Amino acid sequence: MGKLKFALYWGAACGGCDVAVLDTHEKILDIAAAADILFWPVAMDFKYRDVEEMVDKSIDVCLFNGAIRNSENEHIAHLLRQKSKVLVAFGACAQLGGIPGLANEKRRQEILDFVYQRSPSTVSRKGVYPQETTPVPEGELKLPKFYDTVMALDQVVDVDYYVPGCPPEPARILAVVQAIVTGNLPPKGAVVGALDKALCDSCPRKREEKKVKTFYRPHEILFDPERCFLEQGLICLGPATRGGCGDPPRCIRSNMPCRGCYGPPPDVTDQGAKMLSAVGSIIDSQDPKEIEKVIDVIVDPLGTFYRFGLPASALRKKRFP
Amino acid sequence: MKTISIDPITRLEGHGKIEIFLNDKGDVENAYFQVPELRGFEVFCLGRPVEELPRIVTRICGV
Repeated sequence: MGKLKFALYWGAACGGCDVAVLDTHEKILDIAAAADILFWPVAMDFKYRDVEEMVDKSIDVCLFNGAIRNSENEHIAHLLRQKSKVLVAFGACAQLGGIPGLANEKRRQEILDFVYQRSPSTVSRKGVYPQETTPVPEGELKLPKFYDTVMALDQVVDVDYYVPGCPPEPARILAVVQAIVTGNLPPKGAVVGALDKALCDSCPRKREEKKVKTFYRPHEILFDPERCFLEQGLICLGPATRGGCGDPPRCIRSNMPCRGCYGPPPDVTDQGAKMLSAVGSIIDSQDPKEIEKVIDVIVDPLGTFYRFGLPASALRKKRFP
Repeated sequence: MKTISIDPITRLEGHGKIEIFLNDKGDVENAYFQVPELRGFEVFCLGRPVEELPRIVTRICGV
């Protein structure tokens, strides 16, 4: 058997997933020994044309990170699906929409207006926006269409596996590559490179009783760095998040509450709804008025409960009147 | 007019492409650098709690 053929790509992304692959350090040499990389914009010089000219299904595994934000992201997603035997949604943006998905709280035009006209740091001619086609004296320039709604990868193409994380933990990336190389892959549609339990399960913090009178922002209290954040009234997405980011979990060991980048735990479809239910169950009151007051203290519920997964959630996008 | 497209620009963070237009003599008549990406951090960060921003804006560029 020849070497495996890998491709890596980024849609609407930050490059952190690509760097996480490089953060496997000297083990990247083992990956290079097991696989030829046919396409990887951040690290290698292959162009879109090279991918277009490939025979269908000639890539064994494509790790696709980044959300689908514009028509180029979608076009390349279709192209790589066509050329790849196995397509992996790699990282929170591809799996759930990720941080770029927070834009689903805004209208498309609102984003374009601010970025190209009103932003104090932008100097722009009035009324000038990027166009899909721009005539120039020498011919024509083309830009992708900026979509109204950010999407996860499986909202535009069929996806075989999901590797969660923002970014995925390097040790887990190696485990995934190992599974691919040995042909030891789970059934299609599985989440790989993570645990099958909620993050709280691998959290070392002391848990006593989850009953809170109110919620706090971190600067409002002196909190105990050994004790469960939620019990102290600090919103932590642990109960609504899949474990696997580290042992102890990555943000927790930096004394920061979880924000949910590993996505919903198994059998949970809507991460934010799961978190709402967790919040509901710990408020120490039976009085609807008082409960409402406690909930009102949470500053940015949408951006907190759906930090990494608004596009893949049941809400998907804010409805505008 | 003949064109050479460098798409995408590689080995850097982010998306970019270059269109090079050649004249009849095969010399470069003009070249355009384009950035075909926008996510809108400028807008979707507005109104979020300030203590959350370090964990949001780090995703502008993770390289």
